[in-house]
Amino acid sequence: MKIDVEQLRVQFGDTKILKGVDLNVGDREFVGVIGPNGSGKSTLLKCIYRVLEPTAGEIDLDGKKLKDYAIKESAKKVAVVAQHNYYNFEFSVQEVVMMGRAPHKRTLERDNAEDFRLVHEALKKVNMEAFEDRSFSTLSGGEQQRIILARALTQQTPCLILDEPTNHLDIKYQLQLMDIVKGLDLTVISAIHDLNIAAMYCDKLFVMKDGHIVGFGTPEEMLTKERIKEIYEVDAEVMKDSQGHLHILYFPAHWAGASM
Amino acid sequence: MKNGENGLIKSRPLYITTALVLLGVLIFSLLLAVTFGSVRIPFRDVYGVILYKLAGIGDASVYGSGKVRDVVWIIRLPRLLLSMSVGIGLAICGVIMQAVVKNPLAEPYTLGISSGASLGATVAILMGVGTMFGANYVGVMAFLGAFGISLAVVGIANLGGRATSVKLLLAGMALSSICSAFSSFIVYFAHDRDGIKDVSYWLMGSFAGASWENLRVLFPIVLLAFLFFWSQYRNLNLMLLGDEVSITLGTDLHRLRQLYLLVSAAVVGFVVYSSGTIGFVGLIIPHLVRMIFGTDHKKILPICALVGGIFLVWADVLCRVIIPGMELPVGILTSMIGAPCFIYLMVRRRYGFGGAKE
Repeated sequence: MKIDVEQLRVQFGDTKILKGVDLNVGDREFVGVIGPNGSGKSTLLKCIYRVLEPTAGEIDLDGKKLKDYAIKESAKKVAVVAQHNYYNFEFSVQEVVMMGRAPHKRTLERDNAEDFRLVHEALKKVNMEAFEDRSFSTLSGGEQQRIILARALTQQTPCLILDEPTNHLDIKYQLQLMDIVKGLDLTVISAIHDLNIAAMYCDKLFVMKDGHIVGFGTPEEMLTKERIKEIYEVDAEVMKDSQGHLHILYFPAHWAGASM
Repeated sequence: MKNGENGLIKSRPLYITTALVLLGVLIFSLLLAVTFGSVRIPFRDVYGVILYKLAGIGDASVYGSGKVRDVVWIIRLPRLLLSMSVGIGLAICGVIMQAVVKNPLAEPYTLGISSGASLGATVAILMGVGTMFGANYVGVMAFLGAFGISLAVVGIANLGGRATSVKLLLAGMALSSICSAFSSFIVYFAHDRDGIKDVSYWLMGSFAGASWENLRVLFPIVLLAFLFFWSQYRNLNLMLLGDEVSITLGTDLHRLRQLYLLVSAAVVGFVVYSSGTIGFVGLIIPHLVRMIFGTDHKKILPICALVGGIFLVWADVLCRVIIPGMELPVGILTSMIGAPCFIYLMVRRRYGFGGAKE
C-alpha cells in the first residue's frame, strides 16, 4: 500500500506543530520516522491514523484522500500499535485480539469461525498462543504489546503504523516486537526513539526537527555523526561491524574532558 | 481470585448454563415472591388467579374477580414485574454509564441523572410544568430532567480539557446536589399536601404505585433498551479502550456516547417516573457481575439484567416484611446496602472494570 502526505500542517492555537510535512511511503516499505522529542513524529503519525485532524494539507492512501474514507474503511487499511498504556479492565486476551475484527463487522454480525481462526493465527505470529484465555491485565508490558500487535494483525490491513510501541519496554521485548513486525511483509511506518533500532529495522528514514522533515534516505545516509550532532545535539560515533551493520555510540558531555 | 484474575467463568457452556440458571431463578423468584404479603393467601389461590388470568384455565367465579384476584392481580403481580423491570433497567444503565464515562464508579445515581429526573418530576407535580406533554407529562418531565443532567454532567466535565473520570464524578455529585436543593426548594414553598407526598414518594423510591398501565410503558422501554445495548456490545467494549484506539479500530465513539447516554437517560427517566429514585443498584450489580464474568459486554449485559431483576424483586419483598405492619421505601433499603458497598469499592486497592489494578 502507498501512503502520500503532502504539505501537512498542524496547529494548536498559536503553536505550530507540523509546518508543511511531505512524506511518501511505497508498498511494503519499512519506514522509520526519527527526531527529538517534540519534533512532531507522533503528531504526523496521529494524522495518518486519524486521531488528529490536520489544519491543512493532504494525506492519500493508495491515491485516495484519507478524508474520503469512512473511519471504518480506513481502519481496514491502516492498523496501529501505539505506546504502551495500562488498561484498567478485565478483558481476556482473546477478547482484546478479537476487537481487531471490529472494522470488518456490521452491528449485528456475530464472530464466526473465520474470525476465531484469524485471532488464533495472529496470536501464533506473536508467539502468544498459549495466552489466549489469560486475562489481559495480568500480562507483562511486553506481552501486552504483543497482544496489541496481534489485534492489529487481525485487522488484516496492508499497512501498520507503530507509534513508539516499544517505549517503556525492556530491550528484549523491543527487539522481539520489531522482529515480529519486520517479518510481516507489510507497509510499516514507525516512529522510533532509539537510533540503533532505527538502523536495525528500517529501509528508509525520515528525519524530523521542529515540525519539518529535514532529511530522508537510507539509515546509512541519515545516521551520520554530523547529522546526529545537528538534530539531537549529541556527540556520537557511527561504526559498521564486521557484518556491515550500523551501530551508533554516544559520547556524553562528561566524557569529553577525560578523553581529550 | 489469584493474580487479579476476575473473569472466573470463561468457558461458553458454563456461561450459558449460568445465564439459564439465573433466568430460572428470576422466574422462580417472581413465583415465590407473589405469595408474600400482608394478606395471607394460600398458594393454590395465588397461582389459580395467575393461571386463570394468563391462560383462562380455572373457575372464573373464584379467580376472575373478588378480593383474592385484586390482591394478586392488581397489587402484587404488577408490583413484582415493576421491581423486576426497574432492576433490569438500572443494572444495564449502570453498565452503560460506566462504559460511556470510562469510570467504574459511575451509575445513574452518582452521575446525578436520577436527581435530575426527580427534579423534573418535582417541577411537574408541584408546579404543573410540562402539562402540554399530555397525560404522561410527569414521566416526560422526569425523562427531560434525566437527559438534561446527563448532558450537563458531560458538558461540565469537558470544560477546560478532556473529561476525566474524577471530573465526571465530581460534576455528577455537584449537579446531583444542585438538583436535590432545587427539588427541596420547590417542595418547601409548595402548599400542595398531596403533591408533597407524591414528591417524597419519588425521592425515596417505592414500587407501591405499580400498575399495569405503568408497566405497559416501562417494560417495553427496558426490554428495547436492553436489546439495543446488547447489539452494541462491540462499541461498548471499545469505549473502555478509549477514543483514540477506537478510531484506529474503525469506530468514532463521540456520537455513540451521546446516543447511549440519551437511551440510558430515557430508561432512567421512566424508571424514576414509575418508582422514584432507587440508588446504588446500577453500581453494585455491574461490579458484582464483572467480578465473575469479566468485562466483555456481550456476556455481562444479560447477566446484569437478570441479577438486577432478581435483586430488586427480593429487595422489595424484604421492604414489605422487614418491619411488621409497615413498608419501607425500597430506595432507603438499597442505599443502606449500597452505600457501604460503594465505600468498599473505593477503598479496595484494586478496583476497576472487574478489578484490574490501577
